[in-house]
Amino acid sequence: MSERRPYLRPQPRTWWAHPPYRAYTIRELCGVALAVYGAILLAGLVCLARGPAAFESYRAFLASPLSLALHLLLLAAALWHMVTWFRILPKTMPKLVWHGKLVPQALMTQAATLLAVGCSVALLALVVVVGAWS
Amino acid sequence: MSVPKDSPLPKRTIAPLFWLLFGAGGMLSALFGPALILITGIMIPHGWGVPERLGSYDTVLAFARNPLGKLVLLALIALLFWHAAERLFLTLHDMRVGTVTVLRWLTYGVAFVLTIVTAVVLLMVGF
Repeated sequence: MSERRPYLRPQPRTWWAHPPYRAYTIRELCGVALAVYGAILLAGLVCLARGPAAFESYRAFLASPLSLALHLLLLAAALWHMVTWFRILPKTMPKLVWHGKLVPQALMTQAATLLAVGCSVALLALVVVVGAWS
Repeated sequence: MSVPKDSPLPKRTIAPLFWLLFGAGGMLSALFGPALILITGIMIPHGWGVPERLGSYDTVLAFARNPLGKLVLLALIALLFWHAAERLFLTLHDMRVGTVTVLRWLTYGVAFVLTIVTAVVLLMVGF
């Protein structure tokens, strides 16, 4: 009798495919796309363990246009993950106070994104230098 | 030391452990993900900007046999899986695809198995 029966607003089952939730779904799936990249690396390791012949067929796949298209897609997902990750960062960490003033969230996002771009560029430069030098 | 059932203390869970793995994977892929995909997936296989021999059997084998290389590969691959597992779990939970227990096994379970597989394959590659 006295059981609580609150009104629950009906929600269509495909809510995640429509705005404003679509942006959320895309952001989360970009994180999952990175696991696909992890699986590609793991497949490479498995081929490496199986021997030179298996590893050559893995390399042939990586050089194919299909793999290029896939990696361009993964690259876009990784970049979007980078952008959104640092948008969320200030909301998940404690407030930052600098010289008695609250550091604005937008500034933290910009600084962290800049740092990430620096990390990626540094890694790229390192590999190019090592490649040219070896 | 066991906590009595009616204890006012909050129940201790291992959720922070998964959260830590998620955060580490997300941060690692945010900092280096774009460069890594560009290097291993696009530049080395096509020889754009770097010599193709960086991806040769001998070079990759030497990297995977180096203890530091092994550690980098294990951490990178496993954390990518754990990061995606947490995200997929939360998203599927929001989509009401299944119960919490089923979804945890589907996501964390797969990440756990793939972590073990990665470690085993890295050991099989030798030292």
